[in-house]
Amino acid sequence: MDYFIQIVTDLLPGLDGLPVWLVIPSIMFMFGALIFTGISIYSLIILWFERKIAAHMQDRLGPMEVGGWHGWLQTVADAVKLLLKEDIIPAVADRKLFKLAPYIVFLAAFSVFAVLPFSDKIVGSELNIGIFYILAVSSIGVVGILMAGWASNNKWALFGSMRSVAQLVSYEIPIGLSILVVVMSVGSLSMRDIVMAQDGGIFNWMIWQNAPFNFIAFLILFIAGTAETNRVPFDIPEAESELVAGFHVEYSGMRFSIFFLAEYANMLAVGIIASTLFLGGWQGITGASSAPGIGLIWMLLKGFLIVLVMIWFRWTLPRLRVDQLMYVCWKVLVPISFINMVGAGIWIGLSS
Amino acid sequence: MREYFIDIFSGVGSVLVGMKVTFGHLFTRSVTEQYPREKIEMFDRSRNRLHVDIEDCIGCYLCDKACPVDCIHIDTIKARPGEDLGLTEKFEKKKTFVFPKFDIDMAECCYCGLCVFPCPTECIYWISDYEFAEYDRSNLNYHFGNVTPEDARVRYEEAEKLKIEKDKEIALKKTASAATKPAAPKDDSKESTD
Amino acid sequence: MESFVFYIFAFMVVAGGWVVIYSNNLIYSAFSLLFTFVGLAGLYGLLMADFIAATQILIYAGGVLILLLFGIMLTARKTSIEITQSNLPRLPGAIISSLIFLLLMVVIFSEPNWNSATNPGVKETVPVIGKLLMTKYLIPFELASILLLAALIGSVFIARREDS
Repeated sequence: MDYFIQIVTDLLPGLDGLPVWLVIPSIMFMFGALIFTGISIYSLIILWFERKIAAHMQDRLGPMEVGGWHGWLQTVADAVKLLLKEDIIPAVADRKLFKLAPYIVFLAAFSVFAVLPFSDKIVGSELNIGIFYILAVSSIGVVGILMAGWASNNKWALFGSMRSVAQLVSYEIPIGLSILVVVMSVGSLSMRDIVMAQDGGIFNWMIWQNAPFNFIAFLILFIAGTAETNRVPFDIPEAESELVAGFHVEYSGMRFSIFFLAEYANMLAVGIIASTLFLGGWQGITGASSAPGIGLIWMLLKGFLIVLVMIWFRWTLPRLRVDQLMYVCWKVLVPISFINMVGAGIWIGLSS
Repeated sequence: MREYFIDIFSGVGSVLVGMKVTFGHLFTRSVTEQYPREKIEMFDRSRNRLHVDIEDCIGCYLCDKACPVDCIHIDTIKARPGEDLGLTEKFEKKKTFVFPKFDIDMAECCYCGLCVFPCPTECIYWISDYEFAEYDRSNLNYHFGNVTPEDARVRYEEAEKLKIEKDKEIALKKTASAATKPAAPKDDSKESTD
Repeated sequence: MESFVFYIFAFMVVAGGWVVIYSNNLIYSAFSLLFTFVGLAGLYGLLMADFIAATQILIYAGGVLILLLFGIMLTARKTSIEITQSNLPRLPGAIISSLIFLLLMVVIFSEPNWNSATNPGVKETVPVIGKLLMTKYLIPFELASILLLAALIGSVFIARREDS
């Protein structure tokens, strides 16, 4: 944030004359708008990627018309269409909650980005409880999902939101436990410290340390993160064949696109969190670079890579049943991550 | 307990196998045809749209009678005496009839192909044109007649006149023959008037 | 600027609490608890208790509130539950709460040596909290966890009793 404030004040020298209480919030607002724009552009790109990858995995071609080269403008056209669509609120829906819900879901997805370290200097806020803050804030989204499902006054929406909430609450536990492994080996909750502890090339990354424990933690974090973002194979809240679309059945137009944006923002957040914790964050394969843009590029590359693997997951695996989903969480991931955490603790205790 | 671990390992293993398969398909050639740009050849015996070589038609109405949904509507006029109707597809001399109306309503057609088989000159057949969507249903009624409506009216009148003249002629002949041969050919004349 | 942010969070807390008490719709009451919890977390954050703030959101907004909403939604037959509380004891309530307020004010203003909480000088709260929990407050901490475990086992027992 300090770095960003410095850049903005360099660019706009007139800001010095204004009072501090006006300048700092407006610069914060600008940073937020920048991240929002970034998320929107990223969603357009990744959506196109997802459709192309899905198509080619099924031996199809996917969108080919809009924009000329392989339909690269297709998602832009879709976004424009979504914005222009009629916004429908069902007659018997709870209007206040119905309008409020998408914003709470998006707020939760968006405020995670406040602490994600995009590079050495491009960070919203260097909280010293960074990763814990992420866990906390992302749990607000659950309330928004429940609100959406309830306010729609639609049984599928309610079922979808119930399932979604049960799933999110359950899968937060293995995520927390696998994050704890990293936190134990670094000794700090701060994202910056975690990245700094992985200094010096690919073999110092967190994923290779503590023998098998960190690697297992990474796998658990990735699987549970896929579940947290309601992606296939954990997408029973949105199971098309059972629930039409889950908690956002009744939403259309702009409000639907906010849900959509939140889902893709969550995917990127999971990607960036996983690569910060385990894959060295903004540091490249050979170690951190001093140039300011390189860190951002590395970070986004790693985040994209994880998102692409999630897309690959989606188009490979069939959807789990509700009870299988809970089985995977409570009977597989939770015990394994508990044992993993204890094992990592012993390993760290012995090796230090 | 043993089964639990076997389940987990086989689950992870099958996920990896599946991901390998989809990764392989990522680089195989896709089977999509970019339809409006590139069109596939239709198959030999596909049924898409009916077409009539009206030059070959002899006006036998067999297709009309064979049609189970009555989507073929034919009207015929005898050609003028001595009129040259041009050559058929097989470079033979065209016979007897002109067609003010030979309509096939593809909106009604059930694509059974029963009209194709009985045609003695094989002039009604399937063509491989499958893009005939229209905004108006009446545009699906395809006209194969070879005479304009104005011409048809003239020809109807002419045919009417011709018929009247012929009737007169026959009547004249009848009276003449009745005058010469009173008894025997009376049955013949009766048949001809019928 | 800090006091401005404080007033925003305080307003969130008070308005949320007001809706919780006075709303006729049980669902509205439950959802407005979210604002109360988030506002409280913001107040903790202003007091430099960042770990407590995040815990507040994680436990209350992400756990307790969800359980509450599940309880309401799974037990409710109708789509909206109307509650009209006719016997609001307004006068005794006002008297009692103003007495408590007076008591608090007296205690606050009679004690001259309040520490200024704006800059406590501790940068990282988490290690301190962890050390305290493992040394000075170990027994209360363990007791609380045993209580929670007992509650968990008890609820499972009650829920499973029909099977046998």
